Amino acid sequence: MMESARSTGVCVLLLFLHVHLLSGQSPPEKPKISKCRSKEKETFMCWWKPGLDGGLPTNYTLSYHKEGSSFLYECPDYRTGGPNSCYFDKKHTSIWTIYIITVNATNEMGMSSSDPFFVDVTYIVEPDPPMNLTLELKHPEDQKPFLWVKWRPPTQVDIRSGWLTLQYEVRLKPEKANEWEVHFAGKNNQFKVLTLYPGRKYLVQVRCKPDHGLWSEWSPESSILIPDDPTNADPTVWIFVAVLSVVVCLIIIWAVALKGYSMMTCVFPPVPGPKIKGFDIHLLERGKSEELLSALGCQDFPSDCEDLLVELLEVVDNENQQLVPVHSKKHLDQGLKPKHLDLDSDSGQGSCDSPSLLSSHHEGPQESPSTFHTPEGAEKPENPGKSGAHTWDSQSTSVGGRVPYFCADGPKSSTWPSSQPPDPRSSYHNIADVCKLAMPPAGSTATVLDKTDTCAPTSLETTETGAGEEATEQRGVESFHSQTDPDTPWLLPQENTSDVSAKPLDYVEIHKINKDGALSLYPKQDENSNQAEKPGAPKASKEYAKVAGVMESSILVLVHESPAPDLALFEEPAEEAPPSLQQNQEEKDRAAFAMAPSTCKLQLGGLDYLDPANLKDSFQ
Amino acid sequence: MSKVYKANIWARESCGTIRSSLVVLGLPDLLRVFPEVITTMDNKGGPFLLVLVLVSSLLLCNNVASMPTCPSGPFTCRVPLGELFDRAVILSDYIHNLSAEMFDEFDRRYTHGRGFITKAINGCHTSLLPTPEDKEQAQKIHSEDLLNLVLAVLRSWNEPLYHLVTEVRGLQETPGTQESLGTPETLGTQQAPDDILTKAIEIEERNKQLAEGMERIIEQVQTGDRRNEPYPTWLGFPSLQVADEDTRLSAFYNLLHCLRRDSHKIDNYLKLLKCQIIYDSNC
Repeated sequence: MMESARSTGVCVLLLFLHVHLLSGQSPPEKPKISKCRSKEKETFMCWWKPGLDGGLPTNYTLSYHKEGSSFLYECPDYRTGGPNSCYFDKKHTSIWTIYIITVNATNEMGMSSSDPFFVDVTYIVEPDPPMNLTLELKHPEDQKPFLWVKWRPPTQVDIRSGWLTLQYEVRLKPEKANEWEVHFAGKNNQFKVLTLYPGRKYLVQVRCKPDHGLWSEWSPESSILIPDDPTNADPTVWIFVAVLSVVVCLIIIWAVALKGYSMMTCVFPPVPGPKIKGFDIHLLERGKSEELLSALGCQDFPSDCEDLLVELLEVVDNENQQLVPVHSKKHLDQGLKPKHLDLDSDSGQGSCDSPSLLSSHHEGPQESPSTFHTPEGAEKPENPGKSGAHTWDSQSTSVGGRVPYFCADGPKSSTWPSSQPPDPRSSYHNIADVCKLAMPPAGSTATVLDKTDTCAPTSLETTETGAGEEATEQRGVESFHSQTDPDTPWLLPQENTSDVSAKPLDYVEIHKINKDGALSLYPKQDENSNQAEKPGAPKASKEYAKVAGVMESSILVLVHESPAPDLALFEEPAEEAPPSLQQNQEEKDRAAFAMAPSTCKLQLGGLDYLDPANLKDSFQ
Repeated sequence: MSKVYKANIWARESCGTIRSSLVVLGLPDLLRVFPEVITTMDNKGGPFLLVLVLVSSLLLCNNVASMPTCPSGPFTCRVPLGELFDRAVILSDYIHNLSAEMFDEFDRRYTHGRGFITKAINGCHTSLLPTPEDKEQAQKIHSEDLLNLVLAVLRSWNEPLYHLVTEVRGLQETPGTQESLGTPETLGTQQAPDDILTKAIEIEERNKQLAEGMERIIEQVQTGDRRNEPYPTWLGFPSLQVADEDTRLSAFYNLLHCLRRDSHKIDNYLKLLKCQIIYDSNC
């Protein structure tokens, strides 16, 4: 009996519950307080989100207590803020106090409470947007028109007493644009916009933020149409600017075109082209096939070589100097012929640059201030008598022993092996000089040898036999002018090394070319004097067999033809002032030759042909 | 007069800046830098002047603190009240910004989501002071009384700030802090105390400045006899040093929470008073 009653009761209960569950009714779910906000730091409002109501009408109540008091209050106003909200008026609001708020949801089935929500009104201030946004386009007389934006603070905020301090932000954009342009306006109630495009419609909004509070929403948009400015001078101004810039560009292009080549070669040195031994492009250009052929095949010098000595070779030492080596194609070719081999192997650079030559002769520019052969005169007009080809004999020997490499800058000096024994100073022409002077066959374009090329440090050494002096000369073959006048003698510019900056140009006049293809050179002071002296018979000359090559960019290395240190070739009248190129003390020569008889020769020997392109390279 | 006041304030601040910059740079670094400057500008006397100015300012800085603003006495030179208030408001605003940042950072790194706020209720040592709790009360109270209250609050924070600076340094060295966090934010723990520490140091300094400014304002505003409002003592120091990590963090939380609130109070009161006294409630 009892058991049956119990089981019946259980069944009924289960049935009851089942019925309820089937009908979907349950106690309400826990609500959640979403946020609380205060508009003016005097009142505040809280909103909550109800959970599932369990299918039954649910009643929500909000209760709170304040920090420091345990008294539980209920929400004073459920209506003002809308559904699911609670509004705390001024009486019920305390600042700098934590409120602990809970919301209870109650229905027939049960009740549930939200988690306690802690809020301090101090930090939840979010005012309404500013009001009465007005836009006005002003056209002051002397200035650009601007847009004057004005607004009023939201009504409830108390700014006058200083309870709240507002800061504003304005944003605007043309109607069709995507991005807003935001400006901070500080505490002012107005703002001036200057960057306006005429003919567009602008939208403007403003918002505010209390100090230590949250930004309000943006105010409703205000729009204004900026009228077109008929007298707008902007297009004409732009047209003028465009025309001006085009003109400027044209001028620049023209200037670049004029000097472009020199600038370009300065910036981008041309790559040396291939060359054929003994082949002169310029010969080709000039169409002198005879000379070309003779360059290729002919080994003989014309009997009368004097006619061939046409050009003056100017070798300039300093950076700013220009050297004008000119020389006849003929003897150049012939002179260069024997040296083709080695020259080619160096791709025109000449063995002057080869480390073997350089390494052993490294001496700093401080070594000795180069003094020219002709210190008495920086130039060599004093030796007009010198003429004839100076053969560079184992200048290889002399040079090889102590090859002074001549670099354009600095007190470098080159010694030209000279056959002037009486010359107290021996000056050796730098092999590099020789190399450089070896130059371009006739018609080589003028190229400015850039003295500033980084040559290997020049060790100038004059092999002095007795005196122990070192006469150093600086010289650099700065430029080779195109051969316009085949009759101008070679000029080997020589410089007074003691006067590096003064840039004396010493020219060595090419007196003649002997059978061996040696160039006999006059020392020369300058072109004028050279010209003047030209007609005069050179008193003495030295013979240089061939140009060994051009070194770096400023040095022409002349080599004596004879293999042995044959100093007999060197003849110089005693009275001749030591010219740079040709003069050398015989003893020094000897000594020099003795020193490195062989090393240089091989290398020098090949430096008979210098591709003009190489020179151009180095010169520019 | 105002210029003297301003100059004094500026001098102190610049001295502080110079001092702090020197601390940062290290004087040897500074001296190392300058020779390079000098060598690069040989032909100019600029760097020499710069060094000279710097050295002289350093020397002068030492004397600035002792240099009185009004050497002849408080009645001879007066800074206009408006400027005093402007200055005070700028300082109070700045102090509150720093306090809020410091609190947010601390909470984010150490105590977020752990319900520390429940323990922070009613824990401020200044709650004993009769400070107004809303706008009506603030407007009812007499401006002199309010000024004295502000000064009392400021003074009551001198000691807690001093201890805060001392103890925050120890905060980062505690290994327990890192264990208890267990969040990805632990990676940044090394940095946070530095930021908190710098802010704490800055707040301590500015607080003293503001207290001095308040004294000057009170001098000018006070009509009756000067009365010193007693200020409450902070007793929370022991709990900052307690061994238990949670208690210690709770103590820090409380302190920073109260600092944020009180700095806001001071800022609000001063802005109210400024509009009241200077602009006659018509800001």
